[in-house]
Amino acid sequence: MWAVARRHAYVLYRSPHRLFDVTVWPIVDTVLFGSLGVYFVSQGGPDSAAQAGVAYLLSGIVLWHVVYQAQIAVSTGFMEETWSRNLLSLMVTPLRELELVAGIALFGLAKLVMGVGVVALAAFALYSFDVTSLGLALFPVIAILMVGGWAIALFVVGLILRFGNGAEALAWGIMFVVMPLGGVFYPVEALPAFVRPISELLPTTHAFAAGRDLIDGGPVPWGELALAAVGTLVAVAAGLAFVAWMLRLFRRRGYVTRYS
Amino acid sequence: MCRVAGTLAGMSDVLRARGLIKTYRRGRAVDGVDLTVHPGERVALLGPNGAGKTTTLLMCLGVVEPDGGTVEVAGHRLPRGRSAAMAHVGFAAGYLPLPERLRVGEYLRMYGQLYGLVDPDTQALRGLERFGIPHLAKAMGTELSSGQKTLIGIVKSTMHDPELLVLDEPTASLDPDVALRVRTGLAALCEERGTALLVTSHNMIEVERIAERVVFLSAGRVVADGPPVEVAARFGRDDLEEVFLHLASQRQASEHTEGLRP
Repeated sequence: MWAVARRHAYVLYRSPHRLFDVTVWPIVDTVLFGSLGVYFVSQGGPDSAAQAGVAYLLSGIVLWHVVYQAQIAVSTGFMEETWSRNLLSLMVTPLRELELVAGIALFGLAKLVMGVGVVALAAFALYSFDVTSLGLALFPVIAILMVGGWAIALFVVGLILRFGNGAEALAWGIMFVVMPLGGVFYPVEALPAFVRPISELLPTTHAFAAGRDLIDGGPVPWGELALAAVGTLVAVAAGLAFVAWMLRLFRRRGYVTRYS
Repeated sequence: MCRVAGTLAGMSDVLRARGLIKTYRRGRAVDGVDLTVHPGERVALLGPNGAGKTTTLLMCLGVVEPDGGTVEVAGHRLPRGRSAAMAHVGFAAGYLPLPERLRVGEYLRMYGQLYGLVDPDTQALRGLERFGIPHLAKAMGTELSSGQKTLIGIVKSTMHDPELLVLDEPTASLDPDVALRVRTGLAALCEERGTALLVTSHNMIEVERIAERVVFLSAGRVVADGPPVEVAARFGRDDLEEVFLHLASQRQASEHTEGLRP
């Protein structure tokens, strides 16, 4: 695991453009959603409900980057092995498949800390929003969202095993589906009625709802957190089963030759 | 023509594959292949393009799952024992590149760690010296020629002193000088460490120099198995090159006949 993590650290160190994911894009996101919030506040007046909106948007984008960075680090880490045609060489070592993913996720933690740290700092510096004001209850929310990001990455890895690098657009594309449905900036009720059931099923919806409850200064929303935690565990189990299924197909159909 | 299970060294075989079958959508790639490699033995797996060599190798390495048959490597049955088995195997292929953005030393250290070496840097340096390229340790993968990359791949696959070294087309892109260095290094390794070698190649002269036994595949089946001189004699030919050409022309003729069928 450490060997895999170190290999990916070298890749990041020697590919400055990859730092965009953990530096530039997080700042762009913060400016976009922070400025939207400031604009709405200016339109609604100082006592309007829009005052809370700016905090929802900024806490949403900070927490969203937990999911995003966790997912993208594992997905692109796996894709790095396919781009460099290193998959076959890895598969004929004692390294187990789960150890490979765990090693990539381990290094992904460092990227996650960088990316989320940049968003949190930008939110504080540009909009005076301090995410730590949410208190200690922020930690379970972050943990759930991080594991949720890994669960999404497992599905992306499975699809790449099955469909090859043609499926890599999903690594980024899938986040554009999860973002609006996952309750990042608004509660389920804000969505069109026909997609609400899907949103309710996503564990991120409940984790972000818990985040908003903390913004409102309410007690720790254990109910939402429990729902999010259970949903995330189910998603991880489903993701692992999906990867195992795709890996069997990968071996049975000899797809490794795509990368050699 | 293939060797039959149980008649050879039995449990001590470093590789025992029995009745391997693999069918892809385009047809049967491997059709009942038996393959045994004994400790320290140098075996070449030969055959024309499409004969099933690489598919056979990949099944023996646990990367491709056979539709039928069994594989045992260093006493570990695949696929369950894949991880334990691979600790005893080294693999390199002439067509595999080095990962970008890694120095040679970093690349070798990573694989050394994956193979559980306590001191991968020392082992890496020893491997680089064996093949006469210790000066490449600090070079970036992207700075190397294709021949140097192949050599580094071979160093990577040998630094943990495997019981079985599997090389797929190892000298395909090498000039005669580097190819000689590879052969010399491999011979030294097999001599010193008792490493068994399973190699595929289209260079029959090289095979005759490296291998003490050849296994010829044609249309996914073993059609000859024995020492190079015996195999050539069995086909009434002077050398392996002629056997190869004979089998390739047979294959073309059979494909042509099948194409004429209504």
